[in-house]
Amino acid sequence: MTESIINRIIAARPSHDGAITVAGLGHRSTMPLAEFHDRARAVAAGLRRRGIGAGDRVGILSANRLEWVLLDLAALMVKAQTAGFEPGKFSPDAELSERYGLDLLYTDVRLPDDVPARVLPISTIADDAQEAAAALDTVPVEWGATECTTVKFTSGSTGVPKGLEATVGSIDSSLHAVQSLFDHRPGDDILTFLPLSLLQQRYWLYSALYWGHDVTITTYQSVFAVMSAARPTVVMGVPAFFDTAKRHLESQIADGIEPAKAVTELFGDRIRYLWTGSAPADPAMLGFYGEAGVAIYEGYGLNETCITTKNHPGAHREGSVGRPLPGKEIIIDDEGVVCVRSDHPVNTAYTYAAPGDSERMFRPGGIVRTGDLGRVDEDGFLYILGRADDVIVLDNGKKIIVRPVETRFRDTGAVAECVLYCPSQAGLVAVVSPHPGPVDTAAIARALGSVNAASEPDERIVRVIVADEPFTVDNGLLTSQFKPIRKRIADRYRDRIDDPKAGINAH
Amino acid sequence: MPTDLDTLAREQLSRVLRDHPDPVALDPAEDLVQTYGITSLNKVLFLTSLCKAAEVGLDKFTEDDLAGMRTLGNVVDALRPHVARKG
Repeated sequence: MTESIINRIIAARPSHDGAITVAGLGHRSTMPLAEFHDRARAVAAGLRRRGIGAGDRVGILSANRLEWVLLDLAALMVKAQTAGFEPGKFSPDAELSERYGLDLLYTDVRLPDDVPARVLPISTIADDAQEAAAALDTVPVEWGATECTTVKFTSGSTGVPKGLEATVGSIDSSLHAVQSLFDHRPGDDILTFLPLSLLQQRYWLYSALYWGHDVTITTYQSVFAVMSAARPTVVMGVPAFFDTAKRHLESQIADGIEPAKAVTELFGDRIRYLWTGSAPADPAMLGFYGEAGVAIYEGYGLNETCITTKNHPGAHREGSVGRPLPGKEIIIDDEGVVCVRSDHPVNTAYTYAAPGDSERMFRPGGIVRTGDLGRVDEDGFLYILGRADDVIVLDNGKKIIVRPVETRFRDTGAVAECVLYCPSQAGLVAVVSPHPGPVDTAAIARALGSVNAASEPDERIVRVIVADEPFTVDNGLLTSQFKPIRKRIADRYRDRIDDPKAGINAH
Repeated sequence: MPTDLDTLAREQLSRVLRDHPDPVALDPAEDLVQTYGITSLNKVLFLTSLCKAAEVGLDKFTEDDLAGMRTLGNVVDALRPHVARKG
């Protein structure tokens, strides 16, 4: 295999001019990655002083900030594993440390007086970063390809999030593969704003350390405020983010601003391309950016597979999620389900999951059965058709893949999201997330009519429940990557889904 | 500043909202999330646009300030000192 990126970035102080910027509303700081590396070494020495070393696990429960990534690199340097917890979804208490075997937990959550001794404010990392790190020179570490640097947690569509340890081989392999497609280089600046607890968001720091480009880290609360000044060349986003940006840009354009100028005012003047993944993108959204002259590339992957396919400048086909990355193979099984074989699997089982979860997902030979339905065209491009779990079987035996119908409803523009259920054989019921602002019931009713007119008879939606408020991450109805959480939405609106008199009826 | 802050804020909020309601009809005491369904991403877009229109530096505010801006009135109150200081 090619050189291990993880082992290289922990061992070698960068000799390039790449820099890291951490920005948010009211603050912005930039430092050379060489200096960042020095500080991480000092933090690593601090970890050692606290007794942390190979085989230990350090939890991080914090919003995005410089200390998060300093701690991440420092943990790699002492061969300790990290466990990144999404802010707002976990509490820094003894139970968390016990459940996930944490030897130390750093957090930005305000701590009570009786906090366990092994829970520390993440702000203390800033002090550690100023210390000398000379002692670390005597203890070099090296990670093996099948060793795991981190535990990542699924966004959790049901119950307790599943925990999955990620191998060094999978991280190295993914980074090399992405680089072969996009050629990130000095002068590039990759902007990331999703929670750093998602391993893939830290990839761009590793990439910057290795290939010498810049990286900017912000938060989703601040991203629109800092983006134009940060002047990224690449923005790592998800469809909901680019949808929101699109609506803003459309409003600007309607006011007479030139599309190119509107894009520049929001994204900055150096965009090379936009990256979207994690959830299916609206074709209208992708088309909008294309027409505005901004390249946007959709891809596909799960936590369990890492980045699997990706459109890119060298191979892009509309409607598809791209071809497999080097080291990945797509196999469509007899039931039409997308299975992914990896040369370097993320893992072969969950570390934390309910009995049976691992067996359902992981198959022998480095294969993951994703549960998504898909097809591969003659040139190897993958198309995702829906979730196998989201197939509704009617009493006439017909199977309905709900995603295309949901997408059709969303594409009317009348709603932000649509999730379909089949509470009875009377037909499908949609729960829709309204756009911000007053709900336009008449527009939703018209959209329902047009969706039904364009659908097969069996795909007919008989009722629409308009959610009381838009689905958001904060109200627990979207994942941190802005995907609707089907089961939770059903739980919240169960009474109305089951009540044949509730909602807007189709005529 | 082209017009008064309250009017500007109403106009900018209306633009962020899906159906662009009449700016005059917006209630400055109503919760931006509960009543107007504004998302975190839209809220920062609203503040960014308003700051630009009111010629107030975004760097005057932190994420904590943003979190504290729960109503249109809160937003206007937060910006007003910076507008006044500009003279």
